[in-house]
Amino acid sequence: MIIKYLPFLISILLATPLYSAPLTPDEDLSQSDIMRLGEQMYRNGVLPSGEYMPAYIRGDTEVDSGAFSCSSCHLRAGLGSYEGGVVTPPTTGRKLYEPYRRPPSLGDTVDQTGRYIYAKTVQERPSYNRTTLASALRFGVDPVGQKFNDVMPRYPLSDRDMTILIRYLEFLSHEPSPGASSSEFRFATIITDDVSPEERKALLNPLQNFMDRKNQQLALYNDYIKFGYIPTAEMKYAFRKASLDIWDLKGDPSTWRKQLENYNAAKPVFAILGGISNQNWKPVHDFCESERIPSLFPITDFPVVSDTSWYTYYFNKGYAQEGEGAAKYLNRLIEDADTKTVLQVVQDSEVARALASGFENSWKEMERSPIKSIKLTAGELADNKTLNKILSSRRTSVLLLWADAETLPQLKKTLSRLKGRKIIFMSSGYLGKKAADISDEVRKNIYLTWPYRLTPYIGPQTGQFDARVPIVTSVKDFGESRITSRTVAMLLQAALQGLNKIYDNLYRDHFMDVMSMQMDLTVRDYERLSFGPGQRYVSKGCYIIQLGHGKNPELIPRSEWVIQ
Amino acid sequence: MKISELNQIICCIFFAAVFMFLNSSEALAESRSYKRSVEKYNIPDISLVNQNGKKVRLRSLLYGETPVVVDFIYGTCTTICPVLSAGFVNLQRNIDTKGGSVRLVSITIDPENDTPKVMKEYLKRFRAKPGWDFLTGSRADIDTVMKAFNAYIPDKMQHYPLNIIRNPKDNSWVRLFGIMSSKEFMEEFQAVAGKHKK
Repeated sequence: MIIKYLPFLISILLATPLYSAPLTPDEDLSQSDIMRLGEQMYRNGVLPSGEYMPAYIRGDTEVDSGAFSCSSCHLRAGLGSYEGGVVTPPTTGRKLYEPYRRPPSLGDTVDQTGRYIYAKTVQERPSYNRTTLASALRFGVDPVGQKFNDVMPRYPLSDRDMTILIRYLEFLSHEPSPGASSSEFRFATIITDDVSPEERKALLNPLQNFMDRKNQQLALYNDYIKFGYIPTAEMKYAFRKASLDIWDLKGDPSTWRKQLENYNAAKPVFAILGGISNQNWKPVHDFCESERIPSLFPITDFPVVSDTSWYTYYFNKGYAQEGEGAAKYLNRLIEDADTKTVLQVVQDSEVARALASGFENSWKEMERSPIKSIKLTAGELADNKTLNKILSSRRTSVLLLWADAETLPQLKKTLSRLKGRKIIFMSSGYLGKKAADISDEVRKNIYLTWPYRLTPYIGPQTGQFDARVPIVTSVKDFGESRITSRTVAMLLQAALQGLNKIYDNLYRDHFMDVMSMQMDLTVRDYERLSFGPGQRYVSKGCYIIQLGHGKNPELIPRSEWVIQ
Repeated sequence: MKISELNQIICCIFFAAVFMFLNSSEALAESRSYKRSVEKYNIPDISLVNQNGKKVRLRSLLYGETPVVVDFIYGTCTTICPVLSAGFVNLQRNIDTKGGSVRLVSITIDPENDTPKVMKEYLKRFRAKPGWDFLTGSRADIDTVMKAFNAYIPDKMQHYPLNIIRNPKDNSWVRLFGIMSSKEFMEEFQAVAGKHKK
């Protein structure tokens, strides 16, 4: 027994210089230092010294806190999670310094064929104080000696480091976020001035409908109570007044931030629901990131593509996702030796640049040799002379043609200049409905990126009614902005789930945490929406398709939804 | 010896004793905190993609002279997967120290998100050594593999801790449900693989 736990015991002996000393804040550290260093420990598993926090599971299994930290399970807001059969309880001071009690659950007594709640919380415990909390983190026991599940690491921290971590936990999710109260949620949506009246209406109708329904449900709920109905303790959290402000952004995008700051100062909101712009979303993204405001699923083809941004959920990476799809398909198609025969032609437009950027980032990620890329104006592409000259001067077997539908009449000539495979990739989004104009004789050589659902969808089309027949995708759907259906999906599935599950924990970070822990969703526009901690582009797929014959051609998939 | 130093030693001994007591009482109540069974699985003949973006035939990877341990994880998991992976990294280290060999195979349950890049970064984060592969593929193929190991879950949020060790001698698999200590994991591995040398 002693040998089994020897690593942990040695760590404790080394790391506990003065454990009997009372836990007091370090006098040499300011409050902001404590928060910074505590956040570094909590989120990244890094001690103030710069070393990784030592941690042990089941006594002898050393865990690298750089691989997973407190926030991995307790999440950024510190209010815990339920995932993989593991219930992770809250770890904020506010929750820890009060008694805890939960109702009994099935998982307490029944082993349901081995797929039960593997690790659940204790049913009851008294409040922690700083000393018992330090003991819990070191030894995995609560104030009355109940032992934690083995998935919770034990941390042999020094007194100083322990003090910093505990002080951080005391301030974590301490004050409710602006825009939310026990009786009301305030939301906003963002619309830029390039959006047409039709697009504006397509966004606002479902949003306003959502607010009306929430407020109507609240009225019904209040009526029930008047007539003597006694709700369960959690039920009230599903019924709150909701309001929606419209933050119209005008003029040059460089002025958007100031406008957003003014809106937010005048009437702060808990979250941004949806939104729409035909311009790059970056100024809004950056504002939400710096102000820590959740922004849920704006309708944009130009999202910020980032691995580290936190506060904006996107449906996908927009045009960049189409470029990425082409890269992944091409990666399977050609060997390294053939890379020199690939040419990327990029029209001088924001759409084409986004497509090319998606392709190049993904290509680089797959560690493939760079490909030749040239930029041409719309005029150069339309008369085709420049492109023909370029193609004549080199051997090209695969052409990535990120250009609009004006180039379609030239496709046959362009194709004739290709050698070998003779494949041209184009974007369905950029071509739009005019993709149907691609002549039958070249269709076998044209591969299109398609980041939407291809399999028939049976279910509510807009949330208003149940479709009687499967909704089948066709070339007529190319270029559709899908504003209403996507906004409905965002509201009725993702946002509502998140809002209902935060209960009385009115913290924006917790809302983001809850959103990220959702199960996968089936919606009209995408094959699958999948979530996960840190995942911010919930639709990950993009088909590569070809067109069949005729004016309303069959859409023939040449790849899976997600290409690996 | 200063009083504070004496105080320190007494405290350390006290907490070490508390910790040992807590764990020894647990050991008396429950000798093993995981479930063990011996199974036969029919591995599908499919190809998946590893962390380097290379296609690998699953049977070729699993059927060999070297003992294999399989688990199901995903790159952004917050709870079970990091714990399982900590077990993998410790097992790999322990076997390496003893001069043995093992092939570790993690199969994603989030093929939508787990690209070779995500998987490679995950292995790097855990300081995995060569011999530990992380595989992804189409959802259909991943579902097929999960079903073959009686480990199918329709959604990654429903997953559970599972390690499966293949015995190369008789092609049986030891299925271990739950979280094991490094010592327990090593004992289970050795019980299956014997003192397998490189």
